[in-house]
Amino acid sequence: MSAADVIATDVTRVLADGLAHAGGAAANDALHAVRERGAERVRALGLPERRQEAWRYTSLGFLQRADYRPFMDGPFSELQMSDIEDLLLEGHQGPRLVFVNGHYAPALSTPGRSGDGLRVSTLAASGADALPADFDQIAAHGHVFSALNAALAADGALIEVTPGTELSDPIDVLHVAVGADEPVIFHPRHLFVIGQGARAALIERYASLGDSVYFNNVLLEIAVADGAQLRHECLQQESPLAQHLDDLNVQLGAGSTYRYTLAALGGEWSRCDITLRFAGEGASAELNGLMLARDGQLNDVHLDIDHAVPACSSRETFKSILDGRGRVVFDGRIRVARDAQKTDAALANHNLMLSRAAEVDTKPTLEIFADDVKCSHGTTVGELDKDMLFYLRSRGIAEPAGKRMLCQGFAEDVLHNFDDAAMRARAAHLLDQRLARSSE
Amino acid sequence: MGPTAKDMDALVSRGYEHGFVTEIETDVIPPGLSEDVIRQISLLKNEPHWVLDYRLKAYRHWLTMTPPAWASVHYPPIDHQAISYFAAPKKKPTLDSLDDVDPELLRTYEKLGIPIEEQKALAGVAVDAVFDSVSVATTFRENLAEAGVIFCSISEAMHDHAELLQQYLGSVVPHTDNYYAALNAAVFTDGTFVYVPKGVRCPMELSTYFRINAQNTGQFERTLIVADAGSHVSYLEGCTAPQRDENQLHAAVVELVAMDDAQIKYSTVQNWYPGDEQGRGGIYNFVTKRGDCRGDRSKISWTQVETGSAITWKYPSCLLRGEDAIGEFYSVAVTRGRQQADTGTKMIHIGRNTRSTIVSKGISAGEGNQAYRGLVRMAQKAENARNHTQCDSLLIGDRCGAHTYPYIEVRNPSAHVEHEATTSKISEDQLFYCRSRGISEEDAVSLIVNGFCKEIFNELPMEFAVEAQKLLAISLEGAVG
Amino acid sequence: MLLSIRNLKAEVDGKAILKGVDLEVRPGEVHAIMGPNGSGKSTLAHVLAGRDGYDVTDGEVLFEDQDLLALAPEERAALGLFLAFQYPVELPGVNNTHFLKEALNAQRRARGESELDSVAFLKLVREKMQLVSMKPELLKRQVNAGFSGGEKKRNEILQMAVFEPKLAVLDETDSGLDIDALRTVSDGVNALRSPDRAVIMVTHYQRLLDYIEPDFVHVLAGGRIVRSGDKSLAKELEQRGYAWLSDGEAA
Ligand SMILES: Nc1ncnc2c1ncn2[C@@H]1O[C@H](COP(=O)(O)OP(=O)(O)OP(=O)(O)O)[C@@H](O)[C@H]1O
Ligand SMILES: [Mg+2]
Repeated sequence: MSAADVIATDVTRVLADGLAHAGGAAANDALHAVRERGAERVRALGLPERRQEAWRYTSLGFLQRADYRPFMDGPFSELQMSDIEDLLLEGHQGPRLVFVNGHYAPALSTPGRSGDGLRVSTLAASGADALPADFDQIAAHGHVFSALNAALAADGALIEVTPGTELSDPIDVLHVAVGADEPVIFHPRHLFVIGQGARAALIERYASLGDSVYFNNVLLEIAVADGAQLRHECLQQESPLAQHLDDLNVQLGAGSTYRYTLAALGGEWSRCDITLRFAGEGASAELNGLMLARDGQLNDVHLDIDHAVPACSSRETFKSILDGRGRVVFDGRIRVARDAQKTDAALANHNLMLSRAAEVDTKPTLEIFADDVKCSHGTTVGELDKDMLFYLRSRGIAEPAGKRMLCQGFAEDVLHNFDDAAMRARAAHLLDQRLARSSE
Repeated sequence: MGPTAKDMDALVSRGYEHGFVTEIETDVIPPGLSEDVIRQISLLKNEPHWVLDYRLKAYRHWLTMTPPAWASVHYPPIDHQAISYFAAPKKKPTLDSLDDVDPELLRTYEKLGIPIEEQKALAGVAVDAVFDSVSVATTFRENLAEAGVIFCSISEAMHDHAELLQQYLGSVVPHTDNYYAALNAAVFTDGTFVYVPKGVRCPMELSTYFRINAQNTGQFERTLIVADAGSHVSYLEGCTAPQRDENQLHAAVVELVAMDDAQIKYSTVQNWYPGDEQGRGGIYNFVTKRGDCRGDRSKISWTQVETGSAITWKYPSCLLRGEDAIGEFYSVAVTRGRQQADTGTKMIHIGRNTRSTIVSKGISAGEGNQAYRGLVRMAQKAENARNHTQCDSLLIGDRCGAHTYPYIEVRNPSAHVEHEATTSKISEDQLFYCRSRGISEEDAVSLIVNGFCKEIFNELPMEFAVEAQKLLAISLEGAVG
Repeated sequence: MLLSIRNLKAEVDGKAILKGVDLEVRPGEVHAIMGPNGSGKSTLAHVLAGRDGYDVTDGEVLFEDQDLLALAPEERAALGLFLAFQYPVELPGVNNTHFLKEALNAQRRARGESELDSVAFLKLVREKMQLVSMKPELLKRQVNAGFSGGEKKRNEILQMAVFEPKLAVLDETDSGLDIDALRTVSDGVNALRSPDRAVIMVTHYQRLLDYIEPDFVHVLAGGRIVRSGDKSLAKELEQRGYAWLSDGEAA
């Protein structure tokens, strides 16, 4: 039990350090209460063990290799626009909020004026103002990292799109990690509320300047109100040494539409926990994801899709490409509650193994308690199709290029869902680079 | 086919009136479990010493274990001290032929839908019927002996085929495997041993009918089938139980071993008492079944039709170790009333070019809940291994549940795994179409459900397939409406 | 000599399929290969293109005096060998135009020619599209994925037209085509005909040979070329079938 003890003390130490660092109570009573509850939950939950179903295949060995410290320097004010130039989205017009090591960086951001149907503030700046009503109402805090975020989150975006507003440009939330001398952990926490009948697009990005070890422990809450539409696109290109956990919690109102596209490409250890709850009838969701796992990388997606009410539809398609000793974990659960009739859900997970040492563990589950439903899942694991490769070669395309082309074709299914052209191009480019490197 | 609970009660009580049970009086060790009880069982059964040692080792291990909690089934904790671990007929009749069997007993079997005579005449099936845990009738021995096939009770095998038994018993399901397997290894009462020698095709389908009769008696059957190189054997297992108020635990272990080029087909029709509409009574069916495809090109095929029991917990599995070995799992499971089933399979691919097929059809009606739980593992050496899994659920009514938990673990890029699952209900259109052609709603449901299960029934031996279809129809009676 | 096949023997999973094939093809010639189902026609085409899974146990294949069998499939393509597949493969997610351009430029690079830029390439493709009357939207789709049988065959011919190979092997490209498509495919092949190119057509039907007149007709049966002749042989086959040939062989 000694190994477990080491880990267990680690997380309480992270909590204690973080609390000490936060220095006093939050200015806001409501936020203070949320933090207290989070801290309690951290103590109660402790670190997950392999015996727990949700962590069966997800190793937490990195917690023993690095001793994460809270990020001490406050907002990273040294960074200038020229430092993040490469990260700016071509042709992007809408608001941009940049978070450096979890802290809002005003000098790098162009939040736009509040008003015009958009309210933008940050957690750190919320001060004594009331938090949005949805704050902490959506997150399930199913595991200790989410609780840790609740206890320690110092900053994050609070964005509300007022009812009926149609935003013409996407909101870009860019996370930039800057290495510190020692492994650091930060806990950005965001809330997006899309008001009734509103339409918006959100871009969520993770990048790093330099390859360093850090743990980006993110928590997102998203409320899409009745009849609203949200397009959510996420590009994760963390440092190859980083740990990344994205705890995404989405709640959909009646008749709303949510479309999520994920390219999880970076990090040494990366996990997306997506909890989506249908709270009103007639809503629909489409989730697409691409996961890459190169040598030594773990890429993990957990889905928990809760069809709690009737007549909603969801489509989930997650694809992965593995190389070297890469590992992919996919755990996708669709739950159809009693009386959630006319549910229509389809889950697909396809995995492409390019190397002998890679591992895939996939678990697409259905839990169905209503009879008038259409639910299905499909999973495949395999290597590149030999006939396809031969066809390409017979047309003059050599094997490495042929493999790349087939991998791109495989990924295209997901990447074409990026509506934002710059996002699509970036994701495709990053994929290309990775494939080129792996075929060397 | 398929007597109602009332028939069953009437039958059992009439049995008493007519002195039915006085002739085959049951000798029961009082409830409770301890090393002493195990020694007593072993003594009563006149077992060799190594068997007792094996039991005690398993028992001591069992004491360190906890019941599995991961399955999606719910039941109150089982008091293992309230169970009686041994019931045997006091006088064990020695039977030379079927004619020597008590006619009352034969009638009981007939009422239960197990017409031995007919079976014998129609299908040439050898039957080793288990009555209260100990074999009382064995037929067709001579025919089998001629072919060199050993088909006897485990108790007999302990004495007559000790070497074979010692070599294989527990070699597929070790006593440490799981809680119920450990319990079984400690207290197993009896069961069946089959050995098919090299190159022999077993001349007939082998079949055992199980029946739980005495109150409060756990059943701990143990089956071991060894198919030596190049041999073929098909084994049929079926069971039914009369109504009882208290839950009865059944924790069987089935071990199959297939050597090079050997094939084993294991078919089960299970319709034990599922409990009443409130969920009272009914059998707890916690079974460990595993086949070991040890040899190259060996094949093990599991087919099951599960309609009974209050709770079913079983995962007939295949360890595909030999090259080109094949594992198959075909299953129909029906849950209704308050029945719960958590069933599926494990296909562990170790050898090169191993293949497995999983077809699971789950039907939930009433407030029944069932889960398919399956594991497909492609080990690093499983070059070019293939798996295809198809899991379909059919829901009848809006209070039932159907769940699918496939675990897929792949460590070899040349392995191919495909998994598909669907959930559907009987559509109004289908029902209306049938009814507009003059078919009653109930028959229409039965028709559609049978179509849904066709693929599985096709895998069953003929006479079993017919029985399974009837069983399905009976178990779904009144499910719609 | 453009292609010379000498005593070619090949096996699949230890089963002999080609049992000594001899064939010589000079530039400018059109050869038709006919023969019963399962006689090894596609196997021959695959072995020429370099598909895995066939063991060549004897014989040799020279393409412009080079040992063809020693080359990788893509090297054969760059040399100017093209196989139109009997069952064209679908490539999900791979854009048809992108694929064509990559393939063409890969071949050109291997031959030391300059790559075509997008403009030049599109011009070329548009030109060739007309030749095979292919719907332009098929170019925007994924390679063969969801194409009808006839569309796949046309796509193969489009590739041939774009690559302009020295030797095109067409494996039953005429099967599954409607009458108009048969005509356009034939036009495509005829347009390719030139004194320095050759074509091998595997077909079951005389009709194709009405459109593309062969210089030679061969019958492949039981893994060997059992009869060769001019186009009148095809007419004779149409009337008499194959039995008389293999009977003669067996005797
Ligand atoms: N991969 C393979 N494995 C086993 N047998 C094969 C394989 N490929 C080809 N064969 C066998 O080789 C023989 C020749 O096949 P081939 O496809 O070359 O015939 P064909 O002449 O093209 O026939 P068709 O006119 O029907 O297209 C057939 O008997 C076929 O079944
Ligand atoms: Mg062919």
